[in-house]
Amino acid sequence: MIKNTKCECGHQNPVGTVLCEACGKPQFEEKMENSGELLEMRYDGVARRSQRANPNFIDKVWNFFSSVKVAVYLIIITLVGAMLGTVFTQETMFVTINPETYYKTKYGTIGHIYYKLGLSDTFNSWWFILLLVMIGASLVICSLDRVLPLYRALSKQKIRKHMQFLTRQRVVYQGPIHENSAAWIERAVTPLKKKGYRVHTEGGALLAEKQRFSRWGPYVIHIGLIVFLLAVLFRGLPGLHMDEHYWFPEGEITPIPDTHFYLKNEKFTVEYYTEDEMSEDFKDQGKVVPKLFETKAVLYQCVARCDDPLAEPELKEVHRHNIQVNDPLNYKGFQAYQFSFENISELRSVQPTLVDKETGEVYGKFKLTMNDPDTEYQVGPYKLVLKDKYMDFGLDEQKRPISKSGEPNAPAFLFTITGPGLPEDGGQYIYFPYLQQQQYYGQDQLNQRLGGTNNKLELDLAAMTDVDIIEYNSYLNIRVDRVMPFVWTGLGIVMIGLIMGFYWQHRRIWLRVDDGIVTLGGHTTKNWFGMRREVSSFLQGMGIEVDEKSLDNGGNRS
Amino acid sequence: MGRARRPVQIIILTLIVILGGYAIGTAVFGGEKARPENGDSPPAFNLRGLDGQVHNLEKYEGKALVINFWATWCTYCVNEMPALQTQWEKWQDQDVVILGINTGEDDLTVKNFVKQTGVDFPILFDKKKEIVGKYGVVPMPTTFFVNKNGKITSIVQGELDLKTLDKQIDRLVKSR
Repeated sequence: MIKNTKCECGHQNPVGTVLCEACGKPQFEEKMENSGELLEMRYDGVARRSQRANPNFIDKVWNFFSSVKVAVYLIIITLVGAMLGTVFTQETMFVTINPETYYKTKYGTIGHIYYKLGLSDTFNSWWFILLLVMIGASLVICSLDRVLPLYRALSKQKIRKHMQFLTRQRVVYQGPIHENSAAWIERAVTPLKKKGYRVHTEGGALLAEKQRFSRWGPYVIHIGLIVFLLAVLFRGLPGLHMDEHYWFPEGEITPIPDTHFYLKNEKFTVEYYTEDEMSEDFKDQGKVVPKLFETKAVLYQCVARCDDPLAEPELKEVHRHNIQVNDPLNYKGFQAYQFSFENISELRSVQPTLVDKETGEVYGKFKLTMNDPDTEYQVGPYKLVLKDKYMDFGLDEQKRPISKSGEPNAPAFLFTITGPGLPEDGGQYIYFPYLQQQQYYGQDQLNQRLGGTNNKLELDLAAMTDVDIIEYNSYLNIRVDRVMPFVWTGLGIVMIGLIMGFYWQHRRIWLRVDDGIVTLGGHTTKNWFGMRREVSSFLQGMGIEVDEKSLDNGGNRS
Repeated sequence: MGRARRPVQIIILTLIVILGGYAIGTAVFGGEKARPENGDSPPAFNLRGLDGQVHNLEKYEGKALVINFWATWCTYCVNEMPALQTQWEKWQDQDVVILGINTGEDDLTVKNFVKQTGVDFPILFDKKKEIVGKYGVVPMPTTFFVNKNGKITSIVQGELDLKTLDKQIDRLVKSR
């Protein structure tokens, strides 16, 4: 069936038009010419952009997303999905768990079902992202389909509207005037302008309009939401987002993978609550509760030779912060949060003194690091060459020395020492920094067997200050979130749109004079009370006394 | 009037499909952080070798790679070294490269070990244990077999004996 979409004023309207684009005459109810019902003024009665008489596949997809009803359902489904995602702690909240068993053991069968349904990672699931994408599509398409026709309709409004269009507005006045129609209209211009209206006249008709921009508020909100959504969806792009946990041993400059940053944990402090500070309950349970943990952190940025494994990178200090719980280090979006710590008491270096066992003469001391030690040392007249090193000393099946692990649990160093009183090719000397391990592994016996030093020399730790120990490992959560500025921008745009729509209203007054009778129709997007008051005060200025309430043409909602 | 809208509709719908597809794709396939699996490209590295040269994947493009993660304190790693050396001697003419990535030990230890065992395939230093992390290696040794197209064909955890190693490399060379 081909519908005739031509209005009686001669204007050809698109399919779906409610009110004629030109004269404003209602297009659907020709049968009941004199229906007194209020007009549907949404989008000024224009057709949605994409409505067609014979939609094809693309039109159908487009129309699906163009529907506000669909948008509302999408939002409801997304909200329900998001609610389900808050029932149990999400996988992403843990650093190391096995989700397959975690949910079952912690929450039982329900937890297992929850995991099996994929709800343990709701916010990264394909269906949740799909819903967000669909909401995004709906936002774009709904807005486009409405804002363009509305813009067109509002930017070329006809001044003289159909009588029905005026009498079926919610603010209506009709009454006689006792002067020339053109003169009356002319006289009406000034008081309307004073009230801030822009006034257009044409023969015996007038259109006054103000604050039209508030009509764009909702669309500005949508633009903001689209920026927000895009920012959230594309957080996964490389370099935009990082959320990792790393260990930072005290006193070490540790590189942070995938960045050019290095972080030094200068000092880690942990304080515990004393017995007096704790509740009776805790005291009885013998709980140990930390009061404070703090990492004195220094952030370095690599400025040269960053990706060259053959060279030492050149670092520049860029930031310094004492990281505490809820007080992260923050450098241009690079954040480090205190997450956990570990007391490791790991040996970093020792400064043994070379002593003559016979005379007691002290030749001097040198620094021996557990990781990457120098291989040659000159101490007094003696030269020590590091031949081998064991981090965790032990013997294999053939009684050969080996390292049992990569941790410095039982470090041992094998030197060749040359100098006065020693054979030409030097003597072998093995050294265990830990005193108790010297006895346990029998350092003296080993050295006797190795031979060469003839029990003449000895490495000795003179003072506790010669021992450097890494007390704590600080566990930091490293976060980079470069999309946050976009999120805030999006929200800022949303706020502007909200303000536009909330604090201003688009008000219009149409006037036409026919045979000495003036007809006034008024429309506003909200605050009808204010609108009626404005109209009545305008009419009063024109010499027509009207009660505000009598202007109300029904639909008394505000 | 309706004609001009069709391209706009098509452009917008295409954009939504592309952007949406990308967003869903990264959500489903987990982004970058997952440990590599069969069929993936091996994670990039840029490491210093015992020979004082820089070694990276680009250097060995077009060659089949056997990437072995090891340490001197790991008995199984030490046990499989001779097998790796034998296969290196057998296969190196056929564009097969064996890379031994040492995890977190210093030059002295590695040098002594290499001297003792006499291996001469490229040994690389991963002192900060960054690459081990990227490859998601948990038990040692772990060996990644990468074919000439730069795709991982298998990942073996634990000690490799001469026969399995030979079979694996043979498959690797034949795999296209």
